[in-house]
Amino acid sequence: MVRVMVVDDHPMWRDAVERDLQAAGHQVVAVASNGREAMARFPAAAPQVVVLDLQLPDLSGVQITSMMLEHDPTARVLILSASGEQADVLDAIKAGATGYLVKSASSAELVEAVTRVADGDAVFTPGLAGLVLGEFRRVADGPGDDPRDQLTERETEILRMVATGMSYKQIASRLVLSHRTVQNHVQNTLRKLQMNNRVQLTRWAIAHGLDGDGDGD
Amino acid sequence: MRVVVTVNMVGLNAYRRDSFQQPDVALAIVLVLVAWTAVATWLYSDRGRRTTPLLVADLAVALAAVAATPWVKSEGFDATIPGFWVIGPLLAWAVHWHWRGGLVAAALVAAADLVPRTDVDQGNYGNVFLVLVGGPVVGYLCASLQRMARERDAAERAAAAAQERTRLARAVHDGVLQVLALVQRRGAAAGGEWAELGRLAGEQERSLRSLIRQQDTVSAAAGGQVDLAGALEAMATAHPLRVEVATPGGTVPVDERVASETVAAVRACLDNVLVHVGPAATAWVLVQAAPDAITVSVRDDGPGIAAGRLEEAEAQGRLGVASSIRGRIADLGGTATVATGTWGTEWELTVPLA
Repeated sequence: MVRVMVVDDHPMWRDAVERDLQAAGHQVVAVASNGREAMARFPAAAPQVVVLDLQLPDLSGVQITSMMLEHDPTARVLILSASGEQADVLDAIKAGATGYLVKSASSAELVEAVTRVADGDAVFTPGLAGLVLGEFRRVADGPGDDPRDQLTERETEILRMVATGMSYKQIASRLVLSHRTVQNHVQNTLRKLQMNNRVQLTRWAIAHGLDGDGDGD
Repeated sequence: MRVVVTVNMVGLNAYRRDSFQQPDVALAIVLVLVAWTAVATWLYSDRGRRTTPLLVADLAVALAAVAATPWVKSEGFDATIPGFWVIGPLLAWAVHWHWRGGLVAAALVAAADLVPRTDVDQGNYGNVFLVLVGGPVVGYLCASLQRMARERDAAERAAAAAQERTRLARAVHDGVLQVLALVQRRGAAAGGEWAELGRLAGEQERSLRSLIRQQDTVSAAAGGQVDLAGALEAMATAHPLRVEVATPGGTVPVDERVASETVAAVRACLDNVLVHVGPAATAWVLVQAAPDAITVSVRDDGPGIAAGRLEEAEAQGRLGVASSIRGRIADLGGTATVATGTWGTEWELTVPLA
């Protein structure tokens, strides 16, 4: 059983997701229809997984993701988005969300994604894998002194397979690896992406003189 | 401007007061001009008061002052009383009626200046010439500036409107997508006819989502280059197979020929899937872009090609689709490789970028 919070401004969707999760034996500890509500209820509800719609009337999904993870780094954020605005999805993942699902995913897919995200697994769609590959490509094409991590060949290979819709099981059998190894590689790409994002933010802060001038940090 | 030329006019007339035959009248004229300057400046400050009577009065004052000069000064006078002051009304005409106004005012000022003179020297001629050229030129510049300002305002309004439309479209699309996805989901759960309805909603949802992504990239292509990601997305949406396209995010600009040939090759891959795996198959297209090459992967979830079948077909000269794919990519100087297994069949097309 996973403690889940559902954040979505469409009541019909919120109810549908809540019903599906409850039917699968998960506990919906809180719901919210906008960012402010979500941030107000998040600390008390202490969910393991937040199912978060990217398009909310007030705060952006990126803001909510980083605020929640700052408050409780053990929480996992699963983005559930209708339109798949590419830049928004990538930004939310960089801010620390560990999964992304389009809303047309079936109930079974949603329930499975919540379970996997709760276990610390990364949930990728082919579209997200393509975006992540593109992001690392941009890092690789950038200046040579960039301290950001790049993908290993194996990670790139696996991500390309995810981007062409292959399941971890199919990838494992094609590359003669264990299922767990494939999972670890995908998780690693996400970890590197988020790490790179922090490096980039730090560099930006230093470049703009926002590093707090040695306040013992 | 007016204040500067007024100060200039007062100073010069004070300096040349000896040349006046009737200093009292001259003083009166200068005072009238100073007073008129104050009034005119106040009148011109409001857009609503910049009417034809004001402009005519303004120029009339200037002309009267010029015309009064020979009477106040001696016959062979050198400078008129208002002197450069006349450019105030002249520029007002130019600003208001553009080059025509500038020309008319300049001609009138020139005539008033030249007609009473007994002899015209180099300096007089130079001044008149400058006035005649300057009036229309300033008028023309004003017209251009005003037109540019209008065009800029129109462009700003159009950009704001487009932005607002995009924002509204996003909101509407988001709502429609939510409902389509919901119908698809509930339909699948309900089964029977509802499942069919849900499937249809799912198709519409995918094409709308793809359309939105294409729209995001449509304006970016320029200079004989087109966006390969958008072009592939458009082709995949129109294809009868269920196709998912993964892009690096943003545009992938390539030459038009590279785009059209690559899209045609990918379409051939998808057609192949349709023939050999069937209409129920799903295909995935992945676009990757490096600075020196693009790579497009096309995978299907079919049973794969049996070992040796491709070689067999090649040996028998029955290459069909495979050769059309390879041929197109080879023409672009690239390579097309195929891999197959229990996980399906995958084409990988790599095209170098010049």
